[in-house]
Amino acid sequence: MHVARPAHYDAARRRLLRGIAAAVAAISLAGLATPALAEGPWQRLEAARSVLGDTEPSTQGLVLDLPHVSEDGASVALTVGFDGELADDDHISRIDLFATANPSPEIATFHLTPLSGKAEISTRVRLNETQQVIAIATSHQGERFATAREVRITVSGCLMRNGGDQPEPLSNPRVSIPSSFTPGQPEAVRTLINHPMETGLREDTNGEIVPRHIVERFTVRLNGSTAFEAELHQSISASPYLLFYLSPEEEGEAVFEWQDDTGASATHEASIKAG
Amino acid sequence: MSHTELVVWSAVLIGLVFGATGQATGFCLLRGLANCWALGDTRKLRGFVLAMAVALLGSQTLAVAGLVSLEDSLYANPAPSWLAIPLGGALFGYGMALANGCGARALVLLGSGNLRSFVVLTCLGLAAYMALSGVLAPLRIWLEGMTTLALPTHDLPGAIGAPAWFTALVLGGALLAWAFSNAAFRASPRDWLGGLIIGLLVPAGWYATGVLGHDDFEPVRLASLTFIAPIGESLQYLMLSTGTRLGFGVSVVGGVIVGALAMALLRRDFTLRAFDGPGQMLRSMAGGTLMGIGGVMALGCSIGQGLSGLSTLALTAFAALAGIGAGARLGIVGPLALSKN
Repeated sequence: MHVARPAHYDAARRRLLRGIAAAVAAISLAGLATPALAEGPWQRLEAARSVLGDTEPSTQGLVLDLPHVSEDGASVALTVGFDGELADDDHISRIDLFATANPSPEIATFHLTPLSGKAEISTRVRLNETQQVIAIATSHQGERFATAREVRITVSGCLMRNGGDQPEPLSNPRVSIPSSFTPGQPEAVRTLINHPMETGLREDTNGEIVPRHIVERFTVRLNGSTAFEAELHQSISASPYLLFYLSPEEEGEAVFEWQDDTGASATHEASIKAG
Repeated sequence: MSHTELVVWSAVLIGLVFGATGQATGFCLLRGLANCWALGDTRKLRGFVLAMAVALLGSQTLAVAGLVSLEDSLYANPAPSWLAIPLGGALFGYGMALANGCGARALVLLGSGNLRSFVVLTCLGLAAYMALSGVLAPLRIWLEGMTTLALPTHDLPGAIGAPAWFTALVLGGALLAWAFSNAAFRASPRDWLGGLIIGLLVPAGWYATGVLGHDDFEPVRLASLTFIAPIGESLQYLMLSTGTRLGFGVSVVGGVIVGALAMALLRRDFTLRAFDGPGQMLRSMAGGTLMGIGGVMALGCSIGQGLSGLSTLALTAFAALAGIGAGARLGIVGPLALSKN
């Protein structure tokens, strides 16, 4: 039937094809561009979105340090720190940590004050599979920063075992504090306490669920005013370890307190000396 | 210097001494067994037995002095697999015979210019991580789970009901007596010096991780000389160092290669050597692979279980050593012995 087609017919078809190609390109470009700008992994996690609210976090300044690969998901060393720009009268007042694929994503929330001096915290966390870890920092004036890091967790049956008797929960609080502080010079403080941090998800040898039993709150007070506070969740490793900074303004007393979910607590006191 | 840096530097030092000593003395369990079974020359084997005695007595002295608690090491396992440990030992022993030396020996030879060892080490490290955390790990964990044996005790003193120091004295004394009961061995300072120095490195390793690495807040895992997982970890470290932390095992591995290289250059013994043919290469590859898989199943190699494991008097060490001996015998004497090419 169509032995010969008029020339304008071909031209029209070519225009149509070109139009479709351009439209497809535009749509796919738009599709690529929008999530790349807006979709950090924090946007896909309900718990993280509730911290962020409607604000768009800056991805510069917050640094999360974790090993790329870990053979022991029960205890993965984590350091989160802020080295970005803030207004002179502003400071980081809160840092939230999330593990995207853990049974409950919240790891911990840290509350910092000007007495903390430097926004850098180290701890050890549980990661039950390969996943992204998210950190969100909020400044006192409401600026938000976010970062994420992928950690690969491998199995390693021969390196893990339950060694002997568990120490008494909340026993033996240990605090390493500098012998003296220079005003305006934040110094690292390390703390550790014995605690099983039972997740409430584990079964004992008889197949019964071991009830949840964790340290929920850790507080540091300098001469009565709170300098640093941490809300801890199940994803913090057994015997919680915390490294943070203090920058006391004057000499006096520091009180460290751990509270667990049974209402029990342990305290440790140390004196602050100026150097 | 932080405690982790202190551990890394002492590990490098331990590795350097191991590499230099191994290069100069030819310290090697396989050579010892092969010379003993094929030629009736027991000097090299006695050197290894002397190292066992020194490692045992030295480590137990540290434990009695309260400096380290050896039950924190991975060898002291109260629920080991009754199958994986001896079977892994046998695979390791046979692989060691195929590859003409264990993993530690391959590191020393690599430092002396033997490129065949590079192939052995690459296969060994790859196979070790395949079994530890890679494609073979689910199979290994399933096998271990099926054959777990709950023991009332994890070490020899617990099993025979004698104090650890007494067991160590009797066993260490017996090993020492046997090692020195031979005039040819006593007249060969190369062999007894090698055994003595390498034996001493085992308590040195416990001291480095247990005393220098002691920190309430960031504990370093108690470990001493062992080579299978660390060789795999070294390959991983080369590829992922920006995202991982340098530990004791990898530092020892690096030290051994450098120490052996330095000693080989000093003794004008550095020669590049390669394979004579594909048959030899295949042997090395198979040997390295079997050592990697077997070493992970047995929780250690001829050094890891044979010296470090034994020095804790852990029951798993005796099971692994029996397996290594049996596997090596199969490969050296037969019936599974393969010709050199």
